[in-house]
Parts: sequence; C-alpha cells; structure tokens
Amino acid sequence: MSPTFYPLASLSQIEKTPSRADGIPDDLEEDLRANGCKLIHEAGILLKQKQVAVATAQILFQRFWYVSSMKTFGIGDVGMGALYLASKLEECPLRIRDLINVYDLLSQRAAHSIGPKSSAEFKYAPMSYFGNTFYDIKDAIVVHEMQLLKRLGFNVQVVLPYGTLINYLRLLGLMSREDASTRAWGYLNDALQTPVYALYQIPTIVCAAIYLTTRHLQIILPSEPPHCWWELFDADWEDLWSVCGYIMRLYQERSEHERLRVVGMISKKGVRSWLEEHPSEL
Amino acid sequence: MSDSVAGPSTPSRKRSKWQLSDDDELQQLTINPAKRRVKTKHGKEPAVTVPAPPKNIPVARNSLHSVYVPPRTRHPPIIPSRSVYCYERLNQIEEGSYGVVFRAKDKQTGDIVALKKLKLDEEKNGFPITALREVNALMTCRHQNVVGIREVVVGDTLTQVFVVMDFIEHDLKSLLTLMPSPFLQSEIKTLMLQLLSAVKHCHANWILHRDLKTSNLLMNNRGTIMVADFGLARRYGDPVGVGGMTQLVVTLWYRAPEILLGAEKYSTAVDMWSVGCIFAELLLKEPLFQAKNDLELISMIFKLLGPPTNNSWPEYSSLPLAKTITLPSPQPHQFRQKFQYMTTAGIDLLMSMLAYDPAQRISAEEALEHPYFTESPLPKHPDLFGSFPSAAAGEKKRKVFDSPSAPARAADFKLLTEFDMI
Repeated sequence: MSPTFYPLASLSQIEKTPSRADGIPDDLEEDLRANGCKLIHEAGILLKQKQVAVATAQILFQRFWYVSSMKTFGIGDVGMGALYLASKLEECPLRIRDLINVYDLLSQRAAHSIGPKSSAEFKYAPMSYFGNTFYDIKDAIVVHEMQLLKRLGFNVQVVLPYGTLINYLRLLGLMSREDASTRAWGYLNDALQTPVYALYQIPTIVCAAIYLTTRHLQIILPSEPPHCWWELFDADWEDLWSVCGYIMRLYQERSEHERLRVVGMISKKGVRSWLEEHPSEL
Repeated sequence: MSDSVAGPSTPSRKRSKWQLSDDDELQQLTINPAKRRVKTKHGKEPAVTVPAPPKNIPVARNSLHSVYVPPRTRHPPIIPSRSVYCYERLNQIEEGSYGVVFRAKDKQTGDIVALKKLKLDEEKNGFPITALREVNALMTCRHQNVVGIREVVVGDTLTQVFVVMDFIEHDLKSLLTLMPSPFLQSEIKTLMLQLLSAVKHCHANWILHRDLKTSNLLMNNRGTIMVADFGLARRYGDPVGVGGMTQLVVTLWYRAPEILLGAEKYSTAVDMWSVGCIFAELLLKEPLFQAKNDLELISMIFKLLGPPTNNSWPEYSSLPLAKTITLPSPQPHQFRQKFQYMTTAGIDLLMSMLAYDPAQRISAEEALEHPYFTESPLPKHPDLFGSFPSAAAGEKKRKVFDSPSAPARAADFKLLTEFDMI
C-alpha cells in the first residue's frame, strides 16, 4: 500500500496565518485553536462519537485555520462543522438534530461561565420549540461543513497516528510496559489540541510522543549519534523537538483571565470585539 | 537545571525540511539545538518540565527517506478550491442521476478535462456522504488505471460543486457496441491486466468500487483503460458504519451472488465478480448475464455455473434469501460451451473470478499472476491499439462510402480504358 499524502501547511502559511494577518497574536490563536478542539472533544463525548471521528474533526479544524481567519469564522461553528464532516468521513454519520442540541448546550455552558452568574450552578435551558435557534444552528453547521470542504480544497484525507504508535512501541520493545503505551497514547491525544497534525508527518509526531514518554518515565533508549532511535523511523530531531514544544505548551498554567478570555471567543463576534479593544495588537 | 520543552510556536526555520532536496539534507550532519525557554505572560516557567535534550543530535540521516516516510515536500499544501470559472465549458457529455458531466478546457493550461457537477440542491443534511465517498476514493486511489481527479472546484453558491477529472475519449461499453469485431485475445489480456491493476490498487487502499461495469471503464486512444465513477465506492474494513453495508450496490448484470442473496457483509470479492463479468463481456462482445430482475439473474448464474453445492459455497444455506430459492438439480457448468475458443488457462481464470464462494474467489493480486497472461498470444502493447472517434468529444464517425464494385466484364473494362485514352 502506497503512503497517503495528506495535506500539510506550507511555510508561508505557517509564518503568517490568516488570523495573525488580521491582528490576532500567536499565543491567542494557539489558545483559541486548543479551545476549539476541546469543544469538539466535549461534543464528541456527549454524542458518544467514535474516537477516530473526533480526532479527524480536530485535525480538519486545525488545518482550516491555515487558510481562514478567526475574524471571519467562529471557532464554535467551524468546530461543529468539522465534527459533522468527520462523522461522514469515518462512516459514523451524526444525526444533525443531536449535534444541534449538543452545540446549543455547550454554547450555553460557555456563556454561563463568563456571565455575571458564573458562580451559580449551570442549568441548561432547552431551545424554544417555536424559536429560530434550531434552524440558525442547523444552517451554521451545514454552511461551515461546506466551508471546511471548500477551503481545504476537498482534500480531507486524514491519517491518524495510533497504528503507527503501536508499531513503533513494538519495534522499540516498549509494548510490555503499559505505562509507556498509555502515556504515549495520551500525548498523541493531547497533541490533537495543537496544530502539529497540520504541520508535521505522522512518524515525527509519534516519535515526539514516545520521546516525551521515555523522558518522563526515564526509559533509556539509544540517543547518542550515530545511533539515535528516532532515526530508525525517519524522524528529524529539530521537528521532533518542536512537536514536543507544542505539546508541553498545553500544560502551562493559564490565569483565570486568560481562560475566560478564550471562552468568550467561541464566536467570531467575540474575536472581533477583542480586536476592537486591542488595536495595538494589529 | 532542566529546561522546559516548549519550542517556538512555529516549526524551526531549518531549510532542509521545507526547501532543500534530499541530497542537500544529507550534507547537514549535526546541529546543536539552542536551549529554549518559554515564558508565560507572568514571566513564570511552564509548570511541566522535562530534561534538556541531548547535545549534538544529527539532523539528517545518512540514508534517503524510506518509502514509508516520504519527504515532507511530497505532501500537498492546504489549498482552497478554485472557481469553476477557471474552466471554459465546451460541451455536455452525459447526464445521470448523480449529476451532469461537461467537457471543459482549463483557461490557464489549455488542458481538456471532464467536469462532473455534483447534485447538492435539496440536501437537508449538508454535503452528501455519497459524494464525499466518491471524492475521497478518487483522491485515495491515484493510479495510472484510475481516472485522475485533478481538483474540486466551486461555483457562485455553496451548492455548485464540480469534480475536475482527466478527460478520456471513450467508454468500453460504447466501444464494444460500435466495434465491428470483438477485441483480439492479446488486446483483452492488456485490458484485463490494466483493470486488475486498478482494482488491486483500490483494494490495497481499502476502497471497494461496488459499481464496476464496462460503461464505467474509460479508454483513451492510446489503449489505456481507466476505472471511473466512484459514486458507489466506500471504505471497507473497520469501521463498517451505522446500518452496515447496503445491498443496493452494483448494476444488476454485474452483481455478485452473495449480494443477490442478501449477504449483510461483503468485501473485495464483489468487485472481482464484476471483473469476471467484464472479462466475459470482452470475450463475447455482449454482457454475460442480461437479466431483467434478480430472480432471472440468479437462474442465469445457476445455469452457467451449475447450482451451488456445499463444496462450491459452504455458506450458501446461511444467506438470508437462500431459503426463498429452489435449487435446480445438480448439473455441470457450461463455461466450455459458452466460451468455445478460450484456452484452458483463460477458462480457469474466468471460473476463478466467477466462483460462488467469495472466500474462494480469486483476488486481483492473484489474478495478475495467472498463467493466462503469460501464455501465447501475449498481451498487446497499449500503443498498438487502434483509435476510434470520440462521441464525448463530439467527433463524428467517418462516413463509410460504398467501395466501387469490380467491373462486371473485362470487355466493359476495355471499353472504358480505350475511351479514356482518346
């Protein structure tokens, strides 16, 4: 079987993403991307969706922001559009009604967490039967699914890293260590909240997950030239190290202000408001 | 003290990964990665830290990329769809339930292409999963004998989506109808090798075509055939998906017996049955099983192959619709009578493709190694195939003039020549 040539961002797209061109700083864009992926993940759990579909949605979501700006599209709408599209790609299509209800729940929960009564217990208020909310959300999901396809050039091929991880762990003799495989698997899942799957090839990302695992669990593997274990898998040290950086940045402590700032930007309206308040960032 | 592993928010600017060739990459042997430290907004170190990386790690490998990890430059960039107005419409080729197909010209390159407009007008559930399968299957199965998808372009509205494919002059069905005599054995071998190569590639990439038939096999004027119309294609294996696999697949005449008898699970063998039917059609110059309905088709299959037995199809009795059919009395197959001029190897290959039991049916990979393709006459080189006028390109068939009759009598001929010489 020939290797699958899934799309990866070009150097020019990486150096200046459309969001950065619109004045959104690097760290904020990265946090918004991570928040969008968390939203997809939460929706996937509530919908009892397969993990492969959720992972595919997160990767498509990350790719999208290399060709579109967060000023033009809301991360919530794109996230749900990605989840809907991925459910079809992975042959486990979601009922749009279920997705609408879950998106409404998550939107209300986000609004509550930044609202004046955020300390009070959150209570979900179901949509009004005669209101337009249902149809507005439905239109948003369908339109954003189409926007994802259109802006990704319909090239929505995704290769997930889990099979590669199992092969690599087996080759490195680490399959017997459950703590190692569990931790490496966890790093790959966490990496879905970062842009690495749109930037690097799967072997590099898998090697980064194994590298972090071996450092944390103090497992010794050949790491001195000319016998570096990652070279066995055609991984490049510089890139491996960069992927580790992306993953580790997820675990930085965020202040309450930073956390709420991101939650308030699920829609493009929130992003635009922030840009108006911070003209100096442009 | 250990440094935090938190690289910059963009990948390193190391040129080799993005711009240099493999050879350039090999020259850069070592690098000292600078210690990196990421500060948070409050100037604190990140909470989670890992030890610093080892020094003097070689960046490039002393060998070229393995086939499993091609260079990053081989991956396509993330590019949005272009506008359909990048193409100039020439003529309509055909219209089906799936949409319309146009012949068009790329304004930039001048290439002639086929534009297939997808039907999306009344979609209540977003982009149709069937159209998604088709586009994805075409993008996955890039091969010299699979019609090439160039891109997907969009019109003014979100419902105008066109798949841009290579324009191929003919389809095999039309050719078989128009040809005065059938393909030669050497030509059939070439066509079958190409078809099997395409099917093998699709199956290797976990794609079932599910609609193989002569009208879905396109042929250019250089003897190359290409599998087209992936409208019913889908991934097989895991996950099968909600509701399992549909039984409403494959055009009736090319439908495998397990689908006819309601099998809930089927695999690559359904495509191989269709390949067998196509093989027979190339030999006979007409479809093998021209049935009007499922029952008639089953009886035609039973007549040619003989009714299934426990030996030829152990799972037959467990199929949902098997109980509704009364099996005729056992009788031998009729292959030799039907294909009188075929060699023993040819009959064997055809029978292997049309085996009742999907588990016993030959795979595309095995079929390519069959002795039929190495016995005389050997496959003809595609370049040596004759060319035909293309209906899709609007070419007209040259009018056949009656050849003049020979003179009735020699005396008349003499008169004519004498007259001419005056």
